[in-house]
Formats: sequence, structure tokens, C-alpha cells
Amino acid sequence: MSVKVRLHPCLRNFSDGRQEVEAVGQTIGECIDDLESKFPGIRQQLCDDGCKLLTKYDIHINGRSSYPEELAKLVKAGDELTILTFVAEG
Amino acid sequence: MTTGEELRRYERQMIIEGFGREGQERLKQTRVVVAGAGGLGSVVSIYLTVAGVGKIRLIDHDRVELGNLNRQILYGNRDIGRRKVDSAKEKLESLNPEVKVEIVSEAILEDNAFELVDDCDLIVDAMDNFTTRYILNKVAINRDIPFFHGAVRGFEGRATTIIPGQTACLKCLYTRAPQPEPAPVVGVAPAVIGSIQATEVVKYIVGIGDLLTNRLLIYDGLSLEFMEMKLKRRPDCEECQHLTEGRE
Ligand SMILES: [Zn+2]
Repeated sequence: MSVKVRLHPCLRNFSDGRQEVEAVGQTIGECIDDLESKFPGIRQQLCDDGCKLLTKYDIHINGRSSYPEELAKLVKAGDELTILTFVAEG
Repeated sequence: MTTGEELRRYERQMIIEGFGREGQERLKQTRVVVAGAGGLGSVVSIYLTVAGVGKIRLIDHDRVELGNLNRQILYGNRDIGRRKVDSAKEKLESLNPEVKVEIVSEAILEDNAFELVDDCDLIVDAMDNFTTRYILNKVAINRDIPFFHGAVRGFEGRATTIIPGQTACLKCLYTRAPQPEPAPVVGVAPAVIGSIQATEVVKYIVGIGDLLTNRLLIYDGLSLEFMEMKLKRRPDCEECQHLTEGRE
């Protein structure tokens, strides 16, 4: 499954400055593994040692938050993932 | 009717194409709830006041602290220790005495939220936590009141405009509500996002332009970049699924 991944600006030092990249996987977790193979270090930026998404990030599938259990969420070909930081202050 | 003094006060906005006296009159007839008088609420309430919105109901139960002053531009040193809404009312009325500023120094809870928005046409989300944002979202959906969301952190911000039954609501977009914790914020972040929320409110009332509906605006001041994410209603949304209009 190939999906489009849009990266928050804070992640673009891993992607040579690109805002949009492709990833392959059945779940968000697999897509992050695929991104890691192309952009080493990005998984450690996003996930803790127990392979959970850090709470400061939010991954949306086609505009909808994938919280909770983000990494287990299924994706299908053509989906658009957007990786953002979670923003809640006023 | 718009008076002679009002014509002079608002002339520079009334000459905008599509605005006119009619737009100004519509602003004057509108009652807006601004929920939160912090960083976002400061900017939103100031710009709605100077734009000539008829009535603003500002809700916040906090007192001004020194640590607020890097971003909450309604207040200054002499306001430290005062109720935010009292200082805010003074400031807003000095900016534009034509606007009625109603203040409520209460926390927004499930119990009182419906009452707090009584008789109001629009709600601006200027809160600092998602627990209260979800309460306001629920009230907006159930009362069919447009809801203008904004949030900030650090140099960043988000905004979207929610029209019940027509657009994705806050619960379609987000599902989590982490415990509020002091987060980093630099004053220019709520300046940008609060101005965008006020822009949306003015456009909605006057009836010009395109709204930030079904679109989340993602602002990052560090890279100085705006991104957008298209939003869709969630068919199983706990809050808005019962509204049929505009669903895919
Ligand atoms: Zn919804």
C-alpha cells in the first residue's frame, strides 16, 4: 500500500526539506518503518522506545486523527497521512 | 441604524467591496461569545471590538498573572491580580464604547455551558484546553451555532471554522484531550491565530469571502509556513453524526 505522507516542518530535516513523501505499509506503524528506511532517524523522532507515538505528535489519516493506538491503524492505498504536532494552548 | 460617528469610525472597512453599511449593520446586530480571555481571547476580542461587533460576551474565570503578559495583550502590569474579565472590559470599552461587553467570570463546564451561550449567534474558541473545547463544540453542534476554533503552542497554531451539520466538527478532527499543562507560547503565535479567527468571524457575519470550513489551517512561525489539511465529517462522530446535512 503506498500512501502520501505530509510532514510537519519540524520533520523536514529528515526528508531533505520535502513536505510530501511516499510510504508503503498496511498500518501507520509500517509506514513509519518504511520512512525510517528512507530517512534514518525519523522513527526515533516520532516514537518512544516502546514504539508508541510520542504524545506531542498527531497523525491524521485523510484529515481525521488516528489517536489512540495510532501505529496500529490500517491505511489503504491512496490515503493521505499528515504528521503534525499537537497544539492545545490558547 | 449606523450613526454619523459610526460611519466615521468604520469608514475604512465599509469601503471594502461587499462590506458597506449593510455589513457594518450586520456586525452591530451580532452577539459573539469569546470563550477564554488569554492569548487568543485577547486578540480576538480586541479585533471584534474595533470592528464594531454589537455584543461580546467574554468568559474567563482567571486572574491576571505576570506570566500572562508575554502574550495576553489585553493586560498590563497594573492589571496583575485583577479578574481578567474586569480588566478586559475596561480595555475593550476604551477601544470602542459602541460595543457592549458582557463579562462572565466562571469556568465553562458541562453544567453551565448551554446557559453561557444563551442568546448568542457565534462562539469563538479561545480556550487553553481540549476538555473545555469539546464542551463548547457540543454546545455549538446542539444549538446550531457556528464555532471558530483556534489553538497555539510555541510559534505554532491551528484554526478551523465549524458550521454545525455542514462541516467537520472538533470531534470529527480530534479525539483526545490531554491534561492541560503549561505549554510554551510566544505572544506572536496567538496574534496570528487570533487574528485569523477574528477574520473568519467578520467574514461570516458580513457574508464575504471563503471560510476556513472543512480545512484545518496549520501555521508554523519558525519555518514561517502555512499548510492546510482538508477535513471531512466523521460518519460515526459522537457529537455531530445525528446532523444529516452535508454528510458524505
Ligand atoms: Zn463531528
